[in-house]
Amino acid sequence: MAAAAVSAALARHAAPNALSIAMAVIIVAITLLEPAFMSADNLVGIVRQVAIIGIMATCMTFVIMTGGIDLSVGPVLALAGLVSFYCLQADFPLVVVIAAGLSVGFIVGLMNGLTIAFLGLPPIIVTLAMLSIVRGTALIVGGPEQHLIRNEPAYSFIGTGNLLGLPFAVYIFAAIAVLMILVQRHTPLGLLVAAIGNNERAAWLSGHRVRLTKTAVYAISGTGAALAGIILSSQVHTALATYGPFGTELDVIAAVVLGGTSIMGGNGSVARTLLGVFFLGILNNGMNILNVPIDIQLIAKGAIIVVALAVAARRG
Amino acid sequence: MMATDAPLLRGVALSKTYGAFAALNDADFSVRAGEVRALIGSNGAGKSTLIKILTGAIAPTSGSVEIGGQPAPLGDPLGMIRRGVACIYQHSNLAPAMSVLDNIYLGRQPTRRFGFVDTRRQRKEATALLDRHGIAIDLDSPAGSLPTVKQKEVEILKALALDARLILMDEPTGWLASADVARLHDTIRALKSRGVGIVYISHVLDEIFAVCDTVTIMRDGKVVAESAVPDIDRARVVHLMVGEKLARDASDAALQKRHPRGTGEVRLSARALTKRGVFSDISFDLHAGEIFCLTGLIGAKRTELVRTVFGSDRFDSGSLEIDGKPTAPRSPVAGIGRGIGFVPEDRHHEGLMLDMTVTENLAMATLDRFRRGPVLDRGHMVRAGRRAIEELSVRPPDGNKVVRRLSGGNQQKVLVGKWLARRPRILILDEPTVGVDVGAKAEIYAILRRERELGAAILVVSSDLEEVMTVADRIGVMVSGRLVAVHDAGAVSMADIVHAMGGGTA
Repeated sequence: MAAAAVSAALARHAAPNALSIAMAVIIVAITLLEPAFMSADNLVGIVRQVAIIGIMATCMTFVIMTGGIDLSVGPVLALAGLVSFYCLQADFPLVVVIAAGLSVGFIVGLMNGLTIAFLGLPPIIVTLAMLSIVRGTALIVGGPEQHLIRNEPAYSFIGTGNLLGLPFAVYIFAAIAVLMILVQRHTPLGLLVAAIGNNERAAWLSGHRVRLTKTAVYAISGTGAALAGIILSSQVHTALATYGPFGTELDVIAAVVLGGTSIMGGNGSVARTLLGVFFLGILNNGMNILNVPIDIQLIAKGAIIVVALAVAARRG
Repeated sequence: MMATDAPLLRGVALSKTYGAFAALNDADFSVRAGEVRALIGSNGAGKSTLIKILTGAIAPTSGSVEIGGQPAPLGDPLGMIRRGVACIYQHSNLAPAMSVLDNIYLGRQPTRRFGFVDTRRQRKEATALLDRHGIAIDLDSPAGSLPTVKQKEVEILKALALDARLILMDEPTGWLASADVARLHDTIRALKSRGVGIVYISHVLDEIFAVCDTVTIMRDGKVVAESAVPDIDRARVVHLMVGEKLARDASDAALQKRHPRGTGEVRLSARALTKRGVFSDISFDLHAGEIFCLTGLIGAKRTELVRTVFGSDRFDSGSLEIDGKPTAPRSPVAGIGRGIGFVPEDRHHEGLMLDMTVTENLAMATLDRFRRGPVLDRGHMVRAGRRAIEELSVRPPDGNKVVRRLSGGNQQKVLVGKWLARRPRILILDEPTVGVDVGAKAEIYAILRRERELGAAILVVSSDLEEVMTVADRIGVMVSGRLVAVHDAGAVSMADIVHAMGGGTA
């Protein structure tokens, strides 16, 4: 009786904040074991580390809110880095370099979106196929070798520069996060994305251009992945066709879903995706600091994701 | 001889209550071997509750069921199947990609040693079954590739393979063309001659007179009459179905002010609209300031017709004019652009975003109005929502409430309100009060009348005759994809409408 009551009370009060609570527990635990975790350097480091996954996750949240998924983000990240590299080689101005890199993601996303929305094919298959196509394209474009990005101070600033004591990439991440939160909360697009995930047919019957909106959300996701690719290539001074390996997309999706966006579509929130991103980031960082071996890290990460989701599911 | 006269199945004094509401009230029901018994009644009469008790899906609050003279377990679906009761539902329950043979034995294939499926035995048994019942069907075709009537036969075979002695058929012809209906009836007669008992649930009176031996009529959770089919006529059946009160209410409604042809301005004009295999040659005018009700039986294709007017489906030929200008909306966007609003029948699947708020749902058809540049003006949206909630008296009057948490009636008000916000010049409503309580019904009627006074042209699809007689200025009757009669509501009796619905000429 008492146990059931406690469990019910727990579900009612704790479950909506399960992720925040779990995060607090993990932070306290790691800090007790290794006080260096709380150092300013490490905290800034965490934000810098999560920027790449974070940008992809905030940009994929709309896709998942419409009931879709985008598995193609990993190779998009690689291809965008390569295209930027070749544009740098050709001595194009920085604006053109970045625009070219971003357009890779935009075009791939557009193709994903058009195929899914207008041919009515399942997103998981379309973007899985696109994952393969884009990886192949990246290998043709870049070959097997690493392309070093040297003597490009402006480009390198994107990933490695500092502004007022914080890495520049953190500002980009923050800007994208704020922009996407605003789009979600304060534009018709944000409302329509939730409406489509909730009831696509009703949205269509209400006179909304459902297929265009669906196309747009994949374009946003692709562009986000390309931006992540530019930042990564700038950070590591290299472009490589195999960046964004298998598993990248899973980290991104895990962050979105941990944030409480339903994988079935409908309700979701970009702001909560950020929470998911930081949860994973802190977990990774903490385990690194504590010298947890990588094999154990992978197992622990998977188990913690499942537990967090199971607790969150009790909300419904 | 007494043995054959004993009922195959007998339900005695069956009642089912939900709180204070009696879905089924002291109902007796029986079927003999080789009898085809029709079970009819309007929506909410208690038919489905009775069927659910007989299939074991629910247990009655009181009463008992006997099969072959032995008491049957209650609320035990497997127990009922073992005792030979099978049910064929309106929607197909087949696995479309699997073969007919696999479907017939789905989940209980005869096996050999090591659990391998004994395909040879399976095929032999199935062939014997086909022969015995005179059904011709290719056992290897994927079930989904068969025409609908054949799929029904597969479902019947599936039931027979379980040694079903009693088959319940829920609206078995709802999705069939008329030639296929006759074919299904032949199958039913063949089953009957082999001593299978059948319960035939249908709204289509013609079918009952064509294939059934006896009829049980239900109303308000009670069995109101039982009769042999030859001893009863159509008018009597209808009278028993709708009851005295409804006939009286309808005559009260007849005293209401009617506005046939409204202001006289033709707002929408359909000429010879045809969608092949669905409806054909439909012509009517819809006037500003009138409520035109399209009624008919399930399967009359009214929904299909109004969808093509709105633009969510397309018609093949014929012409449509709005305000005298030829048009053919090819999408909801186009239909809405021409001033049409459309309240679909299924508010859960087609109408509302159940997990979004009342305010958001109310804004769903008018989002463009809350746009300021690229930004959504939430304040404006909330104020508009608040006004609508007040006008429609949505309860509770809370715009932040998630729609799923509202009652059916209030959900429906939100759905109607979402379209009213556009002030549509033509408002189409498909079954606007399905699953709505009496109070909310009256409120929705009041809303429709108010819109009519404001000059909207209103087209209502409704199977609820009480509703039709209450709100209509003019009534159109559809039968099997044709508009067979149009009457001024004040100048027609419910009996005439029912007669026309069954396919009789008025």
